[in-house]
Amino acid sequence: MITRPEAEDLLYREALLLDTGAWQEWLDLYDPDAEFWIPAWKDETTPTSDPASELSLVYYKGRRNLEDRVKRATSGLSVASTPRARCVHGVTNVIVSEAQDSAAQVFASFTVHRYDARAERSDLFYGRYEYQLRHDSGRWLIAAKKVILLNDVIPTVLDFYSI
Amino acid sequence: MTDWRLCNLIDDRPADGVFRLHRAIFDDPAVFTLEMARIFEGGWVFLGLSSQAPDAHDFFTTQVGRVPVMVSRDGEGALGAFVNSCPHKGARIAQTWSGNARVHVCPYHSWTFDSAGRNKAIKWKKAGCYPQEFDGTSHDLAALPHFAEYRGFLFGSLVADVMPIEDYLGEASKLLDLVADQSEEGVELVPGRVTFTYDANWKLQLENCADAYHFTSAHPSYIRILEERQREASDAGVVRSVWENSDYWKEEAEGIGGGSFSFANGHVLNWGIFGVSDALPLYERAEALKAKFGEDKRNWMFNMRNLTIFPNLQIAENASSQLRVIRPIAPGKTEMRTWCIAPKGESARARQQRLRQYEDFFNPTGMATPDDTVSYENCQRGFAGKVDPWLQSYVRGATASRPSGNAFSEMLGMAPERSVLADSQLCDETLYQSYYRAWAQRMAGAFGE
Repeated sequence: MITRPEAEDLLYREALLLDTGAWQEWLDLYDPDAEFWIPAWKDETTPTSDPASELSLVYYKGRRNLEDRVKRATSGLSVASTPRARCVHGVTNVIVSEAQDSAAQVFASFTVHRYDARAERSDLFYGRYEYQLRHDSGRWLIAAKKVILLNDVIPTVLDFYSI
Repeated sequence: MTDWRLCNLIDDRPADGVFRLHRAIFDDPAVFTLEMARIFEGGWVFLGLSSQAPDAHDFFTTQVGRVPVMVSRDGEGALGAFVNSCPHKGARIAQTWSGNARVHVCPYHSWTFDSAGRNKAIKWKKAGCYPQEFDGTSHDLAALPHFAEYRGFLFGSLVADVMPIEDYLGEASKLLDLVADQSEEGVELVPGRVTFTYDANWKLQLENCADAYHFTSAHPSYIRILEERQREASDAGVVRSVWENSDYWKEEAEGIGGGSFSFANGHVLNWGIFGVSDALPLYERAEALKAKFGEDKRNWMFNMRNLTIFPNLQIAENASSQLRVIRPIAPGKTEMRTWCIAPKGESARARQQRLRQYEDFFNPTGMATPDDTVSYENCQRGFAGKVDPWLQSYVRGATASRPSGNAFSEMLGMAPERSVLADSQLCDETLYQSYYRAWAQRMAGAFGE
């Protein structure tokens, strides 16, 4: 069963890999069937809850889609991705809410400070993470990551590495 | 205040083959203030869909220019539009995006209004020692001088002197029909609103929706992803795209692939032939729509269509289906409120396909829109350079532009003011002229001419 220090280590590691652009190592944290989900908001207080019938900011089933996002961000063909904004994640309030031998649910809070050097503009994003983890071949993989973005009026752009 | 004259902002000389804009039209604060008064607060603007307030006492809120507005359905089922501001002290009455309320009680001093905007109570009125004149004054919410519905699309005007909505929409209303007719039950906004801002002028969004020229330049990273996904079509794990079925936008495509239509009052359409394909979620209705409306109109429902109803409504049916409301905040700041618009009653499978296509293309968290909005910001920065102030983006397609319509508009019985038929590389930019001629009409006299 996962301990809180182990869960914290995984979450902090993901944050560092995103902040430093270590894309392949970041992708390697994800299960091939992983779900990556950022709900939109239905009203002032309620995020969308069913990605099949309601709009999400991002919804992917399968790591393959995250690989597409990495490809686009690193292609040199996207003006919004070049030069890449500088980001730092702060991950806090980590709680292991469910722990089994080979599965776990982990909650956390996040802040991301983003500096877009091209626009000379700083932005702050904050919210909550909800992870489903799966133990496989001696390590923990991310089977699902749900990101509740609290400040969802998005300044121009928000990509996977700045949330 | 800069002493602008219209002819110094829009140089429109058709006989000389000249149409150009002065960069100040995008970044001058005085121009912006006049735009808010003359265009957003001086004529018809889009408010929302009637399906946003489906039942008695339902309401939703929006903005008309700088003015907060509430659209409310009364107990008898009639919709009304009101300035969302208490006549007592000016506070907003409704603070939420939407809701249901038989009565709205102002949270500041408890003045109370029913869902038809009528004042029902003034707190401690009898003890209030009001002068007699007070009773002769209406205490109701101020209704918008004009409010109208066309096929579920709601429009309002803060001034009384406007033409009927049918005349304002004119022939472009047939393009709203193409949206409304996709389901017998009408259209709805899928739950989940996405709002974003960008640091540039609202008219850059107006233009981009009609811009066929930018697609392969601004979105090559998205196009490359689509091409890779198409090669792996057997992999159900990736989002299928509607673009894969069509090549009209590709450089190497030949023949007529689409074009543009311009209408009176600033409405425009940029369109392309998609074909009736199962890559579009509407495919499940293809036969039923053909039986009901005929093949021509059915095929038009499947075409790529980017529609602008001047000044603030855009409906983009390309990679998926999006309804956008443009809200200018400052000369260099714009807010976009966006929704997935969809035919009511479509299958769960079709709805899911529509959503996944939508998120990848339209969202500010997706793979295409950010490459547009960042480009708007690059334009806005560049507009500061006025050594040669005249922009050259408005005459591409000039010799292909024809008065009236063509065989494709005739399929809809639609008579636009001008039309262009285009191959993949023509990418008409004269359709923007329609925006700015409407703009100039609305701004006439504003500069003291």
